[in-house]
Amino acid sequence: MKESRRTVLSDDELLKGLSTGSDEALTQLYRRYFPMILHFVTTNSGSEDEAKDIYQEALIVLYEKVRSGSFELHCLLKTYLYSVSRRLWLKQLAYKNRFLVNDIESQATDSAAVGQMSDDLNDHEERDRQFDLMADSLDRLGEPCRTLLEDFYIRHSSMQDITEKFGYTNADNAKTQKYKCLMRLKRLFFAEYKA
Amino acid sequence: MEANENQSIEQTLVAFGERIRFRRKLSAIQQQIDMEAVRQEAELYESDAEQSGQIRSLWRTYRTTLAVAASVAIITTFGSIFLYRSYQQGHRQQEQQYSQLSKEIQAVKSSQKRLINDISGRSRALSANTAQVSGSGFMLTPDGYFVTNNHIVRDADSVYVQSARGEVYKAKIVHTDQIHDLAILQLCDDSAFKSMSPVPYSFDARTSDLGERVFTLGYPREEIVYGEGYLSSGTGYRGDSVAYQVAISVNPGNSGGPLLDEKGNVIGIISGKQTTSEGVSFAVKINYLFEAINGIPADSLKGQPLRLSRKNTLARLPRKQQIKRMQEYVYQVKVFKHK
Repeated sequence: MKESRRTVLSDDELLKGLSTGSDEALTQLYRRYFPMILHFVTTNSGSEDEAKDIYQEALIVLYEKVRSGSFELHCLLKTYLYSVSRRLWLKQLAYKNRFLVNDIESQATDSAAVGQMSDDLNDHEERDRQFDLMADSLDRLGEPCRTLLEDFYIRHSSMQDITEKFGYTNADNAKTQKYKCLMRLKRLFFAEYKA
Repeated sequence: MEANENQSIEQTLVAFGERIRFRRKLSAIQQQIDMEAVRQEAELYESDAEQSGQIRSLWRTYRTTLAVAASVAIITTFGSIFLYRSYQQGHRQQEQQYSQLSKEIQAVKSSQKRLINDISGRSRALSANTAQVSGSGFMLTPDGYFVTNNHIVRDADSVYVQSARGEVYKAKIVHTDQIHDLAILQLCDDSAFKSMSPVPYSFDARTSDLGERVFTLGYPREEIVYGEGYLSSGTGYRGDSVAYQVAISVNPGNSGGPLLDEKGNVIGIISGKQTTSEGVSFAVKINYLFEAINGIPADSLKGQPLRLSRKNTLARLPRKQQIKRMQEYVYQVKVFKHK
């Protein structure tokens, strides 16, 4: 894909594009603020790869927030992404026992941004835990349930495709099978999640 | 509850799926991105986002140069100050090593008041108006010619001499010899002065030998003070052939006092001392007194030549008697100056 610079989208347009799942908006957003984070992480004892991971993590935070419809931007998008990335990176550094951080953006300490961001990050952490557990549960679910659920919920395959792929006699049969699998997953998931 | 859990597991699963797909999208974008351009942009970021960093990097670059420049500046400054000071000090030392022994009298004002017992009007005037400079001097002739140091009477408005007994006479400067630091005064100008008996000491023009025991009388304070020592060198301060070096303890106020040898011949006139070493004093040789006397203008002498005593009546007397007879002829010189 070429770096699309045909129209420079504003923060609001980018967010709108993100919520509707526009590839164009996501690509532009990704490209626009990556250098900042790359610079931040690499000047704070991180590698380029780590910078990429942190940035993608931050984008996920933003994306999920936007998708949930509960996102309110109180500062520049740039500042938001910077603050989130900064937090994430600090955390990672804390694991590594390295605390030297040179800020390149003074807005990072903007109180409104920080308040909102820590809420968002708490949500994000909670979701991370859920998803880790989900991935774990799916692993333990075994075939063919795992593939069936993944096909339906993750790859968004139609019930018809699934029926054919798994050789069920009809779609209803497949639906029943999917339901059973889901129930098993639920047990596995909540057994862990509640504990 | 059951339905709730069913719903929530489904939602979670959907959200989980969404995240996985979003992640894939991001990795896809990441792979398509021109990392070189991003890196360059990140570098640009550095220069315009870190304004303080710019200064910091300037500082980092020129730190050593600055340090060198600063230390050079400091060394130069203090070095020149130091050099200048030491030069000045050396200079001043040379000037100060030789101190003329005239005395600033202000310091002894009160003691002076107590000491003067003559309550004639003149002494009262004197004590009310204390002199600014004082020194010593002694009689050349019984008719009132008197010698002291030029540095004592220089710039004087009026000069008074006071005897050991407290008699005060006004004196007139007849002649000054700046080169040899001598001044000839005349007391007979004053009607209160009566001619005295001939001076007991003589003036010995022969060069005295080293080691000659010498003594002096003078007024470092309000009363006459005796001091003795020996002739330590034939030349004065820094090889000055005009003077003798004398190992004798003298103080400000002794200037102008006579320097006599054992037999009571005047061989010099105390003129100063070296401040940097103890007991190094200087006295003008008597030959230059003769020169100074010869230099007196004839009309000042009113046709009567100044004849110095050649008869020494002190020669065979013990020191105490010599002093007793001498002290009548040694005076304190008080000089008033216009400030």
